[in-house]
Amino acid sequence: MAYSELIKNFENIRDYMREFYVYGFKSRNDYTEKSSRSYDDERRRMESWLGEHMSFVRTPEGKNVFISIDSRVTGHNPLYKALKAKSFTDKDITLHFILFDLLHSPEISLSLSEIVKNIDRRLSEFDEPMIFDESTVRKKLKEYTEQGLIVTEKDGRKILYRRSPSVMPMGISDALHFFSEAAPVGTVGSFLLDKQGEHRDNFGFKHHYITSALDSDVTAKLFMAMHKKAIVSVSNHSRFAPTPTIKRIIPLRIFMSVQNGRHHLLAYEAEYNSIKAFRIDYLSDIKIEETTPRFDELRAALDTIQTKMWGVTVRKGLSVDQNTERVEFTVRVEDDEEHIIRRLLREKRIGRIERLDKNNYRFTADVYDISEMIPWIRTFICRITSLDFSNKVLEKQFRSDIKEMYRIYGIEEAEI
Amino acid sequence: MIFNEIYSAYFNAVADILAKLTEGDTEGCDLSAIVSEHAFGESALTILPALKSGKWQLVHPDMTTHIAHRPSMPLTDIQKRWLKAISLDPRIALFDIYFEGLEDTEPLFTAEDYVIYDKYSDGDPFTDERYISHFRTILTALNQGHNLKLEILNRRGERVYIRCIPERLEYSEKDDKFRLVTSGCGFVRAVNLARIQKCKIYYGDDIIRSKGDERKCDTLRLKITDERNTLERCLMHFAHLEKNVERISEKEYILNMSYDMADTPEMVIRVLSFGPTVEVISPESFKELIKNKLKDQKRCGFF
Repeated sequence: MAYSELIKNFENIRDYMREFYVYGFKSRNDYTEKSSRSYDDERRRMESWLGEHMSFVRTPEGKNVFISIDSRVTGHNPLYKALKAKSFTDKDITLHFILFDLLHSPEISLSLSEIVKNIDRRLSEFDEPMIFDESTVRKKLKEYTEQGLIVTEKDGRKILYRRSPSVMPMGISDALHFFSEAAPVGTVGSFLLDKQGEHRDNFGFKHHYITSALDSDVTAKLFMAMHKKAIVSVSNHSRFAPTPTIKRIIPLRIFMSVQNGRHHLLAYEAEYNSIKAFRIDYLSDIKIEETTPRFDELRAALDTIQTKMWGVTVRKGLSVDQNTERVEFTVRVEDDEEHIIRRLLREKRIGRIERLDKNNYRFTADVYDISEMIPWIRTFICRITSLDFSNKVLEKQFRSDIKEMYRIYGIEEAEI
Repeated sequence: MIFNEIYSAYFNAVADILAKLTEGDTEGCDLSAIVSEHAFGESALTILPALKSGKWQLVHPDMTTHIAHRPSMPLTDIQKRWLKAISLDPRIALFDIYFEGLEDTEPLFTAEDYVIYDKYSDGDPFTDERYISHFRTILTALNQGHNLKLEILNRRGERVYIRCIPERLEYSEKDDKFRLVTSGCGFVRAVNLARIQKCKIYYGDDIIRSKGDERKCDTLRLKITDERNTLERCLMHFAHLEKNVERISEKEYILNMSYDMADTPEMVIRVLSFGPTVEVISPESFKELIKNKLKDQKRCGFF
């Protein structure tokens, strides 16, 4: 098939874009799972969509192409462009614009035969007019009705079609600029923004992770399943697993990180009678199935479990008292270091802070997985005066890591 | 559902071309420019021939169209559901918007459906009336290109008065705070919105002109040893910065990334959070900051 900028299936490019954006050190030869032609086509598409954000370096292994974006400078998420590259047929685009021109106001309602007659009349002016039979037009109208673009009404035995009324609020451009980046499934906001007239973009975003754009479809379907309190079947394909596995789960809540950009689905898996975390970038092919009477009970269980979670790890079982670990550490805070106390208070997600004396503060928590908390504890390096984990393996690891850092940076006793 | 041609860049470009043609603007309109604005690098090579040749039967060879009205499309259900969801977000109070016609629409998500678990807990007071008023004044100044007069409470609790050019409102999802990025007022490059005591538009004649981005950046070079999944964790963590990665051995990688020097203290603790599997190679000044933290830690006598 000839190369096109547009694509029919999003899944292939979803993986490539993530690889190019997050990793970016692989050469063409590293993409062995797919064909070379597929790699060349996908790379060319990305260059076409993302233009100035694509870069490359030459290495002994070959040319490494990667996506490099400072999301603080770009304003809008450039990865949304990939979701605006769906392919279509010549008939799709022709019919789309004619239909909404015929139904240009919500006051106009037409029957199928009236619509077909009007289309024929318009296209008769072309040398070789496209032919749209009633079945094709009916199918498109059904598709648009399901999407909410068209509403139907009965006039005796006839079905009449009209466009849905407009509900776009006035003066929403600034809010769309903001929420298309700062709200879940911001892609939809970006679609809405495309239809706004010219408008200054007044927003920038710091610490802004953009890869979730590639998971928009999956995330939206999971939200819909939650609203229906439904079971879903999903394909789960970890980077470390050779093949995907199909899971039947009850989606309960999406956990989003603004410190690494990862999104996880916390869902109940009946097979193990437990709530587990699934990385959303590993999920695809979401199918919403029947509703479940257990949704409210399971979400309430997650609410309780959440009080012992630092990140997304949950230990087996649904009881909060099971399997938690105790973490305790003390930091020294000098008289002019009020900001450290503020840091402790605003950054702790669970647990408690106690003032031991004028200059020492202790953090204590019971948590499912201490290892998720360790990166945060390390941010207090320079002031940690005591540390005690109930998980002694992790405590030993923490201590040896600090010693290894002393070694790497050449911190000798004599220097102190 | 979301990946659908009705939202596509091609449909948007064609809609805009047809809009121009319905206005009778067949002479002066630069179709290639319209395509470039809405679509991608190579799109003009497809869209324009498809329209001109009648492959897409929307435009006649003489560049007139049988489309009679400016193209428009109602909102899809998912667009309405997303709008309903943001109408329930507390931050919507910052914008003066009246949502009508969404009363019977189910939100796509609510606060119960997701959690941002690592956001700091001292975010801005988005529903505070004074905060909202300042936010809207700033937005007006940005949209209309005015200078602003601000009274700010600095970190030491002292009142500071400045006049500045508002460049943009910058939101940090991690901090859950807005900062006003400014130019033209020397040492003050950004102001936390929550610290603003008074905010007024300056209508005087002595206008300060925009000086654009006044950020000073440096390149941080790190060596990553891929143990305990550090490579992925580190690249994800710093994904929002402009960067490139080199593989130097099976388990070792070099990450070069550009960062705002004003954020150096924050970057130091972010690098420290990875422990010994991420090592600073350069700049030397940054490496010194890490060493100082480690020396201070050793002085604590605990490790």
